[in-house]
Amino acid sequence: MREKISGLSVKLIASVLLLSVLLCAAISYMGYREFTTVLEDEYNRSAYEIAETAKTYLNPDRLTYYLDTGETDPEYLEIQDKLDALVLSTNSYIIYVTRLSDNYTTSTYIFDSVHPDTGFTRYELGYTAQDMDPAYQEEVEQIMTTGERSAVYFYSYTQASGAHTTAGIPVENSAGEIVAFLGVEKAMTALENARSTYVWNVLGITVLAVALFLVVYIGFLRREVVTPILTIAGEAQRFAEDNVARLDQLEQIRKKDEIGALARVIGKMETDIVQYVENLTAVTAEKERIGAELNVATQIQADMLPRIFPPFPERNEFDIYATMTPAKEVGGDFYDFFLVDEDHLAVVMADVSGKGVPAALFMVIAKTLIKNHAQAGLAPNRVFETVNNQLCENNEAGMFVTAFLGVLELSTGRFTYVNAGHNPPLAALGGEAYDWLPSKRGFVLAGMENVRYRQQEITLRPGDRLFLYTDGVTEALDKDNALYSEARLQAFFNGADLADKTLEEQLALLRGDIAAFAAGADQADDITMLLLKINETDGRDTHG
Amino acid sequence: MTITKNLDNSALRITLEGRLDTNTAPQLEAELKNSLTGVTELDFDFSGLEYISSAGLRVLLAAQKVMNKQGKMTIGHVNETIMEVFEITGFVDILTIV
Repeated sequence: MREKISGLSVKLIASVLLLSVLLCAAISYMGYREFTTVLEDEYNRSAYEIAETAKTYLNPDRLTYYLDTGETDPEYLEIQDKLDALVLSTNSYIIYVTRLSDNYTTSTYIFDSVHPDTGFTRYELGYTAQDMDPAYQEEVEQIMTTGERSAVYFYSYTQASGAHTTAGIPVENSAGEIVAFLGVEKAMTALENARSTYVWNVLGITVLAVALFLVVYIGFLRREVVTPILTIAGEAQRFAEDNVARLDQLEQIRKKDEIGALARVIGKMETDIVQYVENLTAVTAEKERIGAELNVATQIQADMLPRIFPPFPERNEFDIYATMTPAKEVGGDFYDFFLVDEDHLAVVMADVSGKGVPAALFMVIAKTLIKNHAQAGLAPNRVFETVNNQLCENNEAGMFVTAFLGVLELSTGRFTYVNAGHNPPLAALGGEAYDWLPSKRGFVLAGMENVRYRQQEITLRPGDRLFLYTDGVTEALDKDNALYSEARLQAFFNGADLADKTLEEQLALLRGDIAAFAAGADQADDITMLLLKINETDGRDTHG
Repeated sequence: MTITKNLDNSALRITLEGRLDTNTAPQLEAELKNSLTGVTELDFDFSGLEYISSAGLRVLLAAQKVMNKQGKMTIGHVNETIMEVFEITGFVDILTIV
């Protein structure tokens, strides 16, 4: 198992880190804010106390005098010493007393005590500077007119000593008039230090806690999430490669959480897929076998039909040509022709109901029976009566055959035929156009026992032609389900110039005409056709 | 093809619409197999039927054989195309077409 930290771990750890950083920043910021407020408040209050103390040292009624005369006296110097002492004892930055201009921008100094550590020298009496911070101007005006303390801290910052807070109070003379502004500026040195210590502590504790948590968390992730998932992934990959279900790895993950569920589902999937593949293989093999057998059936069926032309090269009294174009599924059409004896030619055209192997099997039986009985020399109607009864025996499937049988006596042209429910042939007789050969109605073969068939007789003369076919011709469909129809078939034979075409060429043309009509629509049924033509011969009565 | 059955006591009336061919004949065959028990009068209504193939004829022949034993069967409203098929195949002689 790979021990490196996976992509999933990295993502989870990154999210925990991000959360920690945010939490840490929030805690630090809130602590910083609270800490600052409390300390500043404390410093400010202390600055105000110092200011109140300093105020008691002053003699307010003399202040204007000092400024107006610019002269000091022993009392002034005594007050200045007291203020200097106060700066030192309270560790203040500056204590000053000023008179402000009417617009509160300019200060004229009366007293100015500076802490020696600041490195500044005091402003002497009467020193005037435009040094009021414009940001606090309005507040100062408020203090000087109402005598109330400001609600805001006066805050300043120097590079040398850091943050300062200033407490400013008015000084009133004995008549109650405000004559000066007393300011105490105090450095908040402890604030900076304490504050940074606090922030670093918070940071340190948070980082330590996060680090500890991460160690535990990564261990947890690896044991509870990453390793099981990698096991499942590895198992899935192994299964994809060798397709053998092996549940031992998966069963080790005995968890009740989603990962356990995943492991169980993958395990079930493996077993199911193996099962499914086995079934599919069996079904496919079976299908292939059936498919192959069906192909063989189609082939056998086709092989049963005489397909060598000319079939009787030594006989020049007639020409014969026949084709069968099977539909996609093996069907039950068949044609047949054979010499019963030297003087008699039999032609058969038939169509078994339905499709598939049952139809093909039934066709084999029907064809064999018809040929056997016809070759025994029976009259066509007797052939059908016998075959019908034989086919009716044990015909549980209820199949039937429509069939046409004709026997031509070559020496005389006498053509005896019988029709068992089959499409009547087209015949071109005595130089006339093709027309339907009159045929008496007969019931299909194998439909019902003891049916009587009536045969008919005509005489064929040289030049006469006979076309036998199955309903695959007349019932060929186009895309709109329209039938090719008897009318089109008759029109084809009478319309096309077939005089100098061989029988094979004529049937090929007809196939082409049907294909053009279907225009790509599927061929639903076998298309079977047989064309017979009587030739002019020297040694025979031409009935001329 | 749609098959509509209407059973009134022992008289079953079946109305067919569409084409009765190799694809649809098994459907009718299955319907008949399940519903001919006890039926003494079977009437087909072919007014909506456009076409019948040999597979369809086979089902009709089977139904006729069953009904020969237990009652009678008639076929009504046969159109010209189907009538032609019945005539060519000789089915007119064994069916009762009304």
